[in-house]
Amino acid sequence: MNKIDSSKSLLFLSSDNKTVLRKVFFFFFSVTFLAICSFTADYDIQKVDTNAKIKAVFIYNFTKYIEWPSDYQKGEFTIGILGDNDALYDELDKMSKVKKVANQSFSIQKYKSISEVKNPHILYIPNDSSTDLSQAVSKLKTKSTLIVTEAPGLARKGSSINFIVEGNRQKFELNKSTTESHNLKVASALENLAVLVN
Amino acid sequence: MKKTIYILLFYFLGNSLVAQNKLTNAIYHFKQNELDKAKELIDAAVDDTLFSDKSSTWYYRGTIYKELFKSREAENKKSPSRQISVESFKTALKLEKEGTYADYCQKSLVFLAQTIYNHSATSFDPQNYNFAIDYYNQYKDIISFVEPETDFKEKDIMFNLALATTYGRISEEDTTKRDEYLQKAKKLYEGVLKMEPNNISANYNLGIIYYNEGVEIVNNMDYSLDLFELNAVQDKIIELFRESLPYMLKAYELNPKRKETLIGLQGIYFSLNDIEKSEDYKRQLEAIDEDQPAEAGGGGSAVDDNGPKRSK
Repeated sequence: MNKIDSSKSLLFLSSDNKTVLRKVFFFFFSVTFLAICSFTADYDIQKVDTNAKIKAVFIYNFTKYIEWPSDYQKGEFTIGILGDNDALYDELDKMSKVKKVANQSFSIQKYKSISEVKNPHILYIPNDSSTDLSQAVSKLKTKSTLIVTEAPGLARKGSSINFIVEGNRQKFELNKSTTESHNLKVASALENLAVLVN
Repeated sequence: MKKTIYILLFYFLGNSLVAQNKLTNAIYHFKQNELDKAKELIDAAVDDTLFSDKSSTWYYRGTIYKELFKSREAENKKSPSRQISVESFKTALKLEKEGTYADYCQKSLVFLAQTIYNHSATSFDPQNYNFAIDYYNQYKDIISFVEPETDFKEKDIMFNLALATTYGRISEEDTTKRDEYLQKAKKLYEGVLKMEPNNISANYNLGIIYYNEGVEIVNNMDYSLDLFELNAVQDKIIELFRESLPYMLKAYELNPKRKETLIGLQGIYFSLNDIEKSEDYKRQLEAIDEDQPAEAGGGGSAVDDNGPKRSK
């Protein structure tokens, strides 16, 4: 068996060669670090209008706590939105596919103008269309339509329910007398949760 | 009597030569690239009390196993040869803290640690992330052994960010583990912020996690939720949106032109019903879009530049 002079072979210990071998060593021993940062990514923000969903839940509750006259308890239960509010429309549309008011299915409508408004159970007037409130009140004064708005002060200007914000929360003002003038009965439980306006 | 002494002397001399041959033969076979034979002999050498306390023996063992790793197991993340090589070099260093062997052992350990680090880096996926954690800890353990004063802060930050990203993927892929892994991700981002309070990614992602947590509650809300319960839900989500806000504002402070952050702030303020501020960030976003119509954004996020759809 061959003998090995280890001091000249594997160990690279010859003092003459040390510097050179160190350089060789670094060449062969260097490893490129993979960039862990390339495995990081940012989370995606959820694209949801939370306010629209919360308002849809409120509106569905209104249908439970408010009683419409008997001739409104047949056919479809119509909720109309005046102007543009796609987020709320989409939420109500989703709701209409899974919920009913007693035996009535929902029909969700969009109205471009007051002239298109027929005889909905609920008319929702978004902030951008608030200037149309007086026309809506005038057109629907003899109808059992619950007018719902979302701008400051409108519960005193003809709407029955007006969404407000208090401490970042959605709340609602209720004008009971206006509501009753449309021949709608309000359950006391709803009154207790509302900010009452007369 | 004389004969017995000769026999014993011959016996001990013979044993010593055989033992010496284990080591020298291991080196010989290693030089011939006969790695299996070299391995067999060096393993026998380290079991021999004549050599087990010598730094050189462990150095050779580390070197032979390192070669086995490089030539046969380089792609094997669980390479047993690498593990043995690391342990051997460590033992060599413990036996000889300075000198030529020590120098080469340290460099070899750094090399092996880097390969382990790279295997960690390629394990950031929902199936293998535990390996990423394990390998990263192994890497740190080895480097700390060689250079106890090493500062891992920068690497720890990157590691935590990558792991938090992986947890995010798990939470998306498996909804039953959603909350568990989002909480884990939160802790990692919080850990990053302790090390580097101005880390944009950690601030932004913590903001998003809290915000999305609130949104998720809203998404899962039943339309027939009672008004009493709805108020409680609103309290909960507002708390989450408020928690997300300082992180997102910090991310904005650090980079006011980042579109994803502006979209985030627009959404958070909108969900807090602070429409004025939401609109302000929306305008800033639109201004950036006008200035840089061709740019796709800055963070690789798939967010829609239009932000959430609005009900107001």
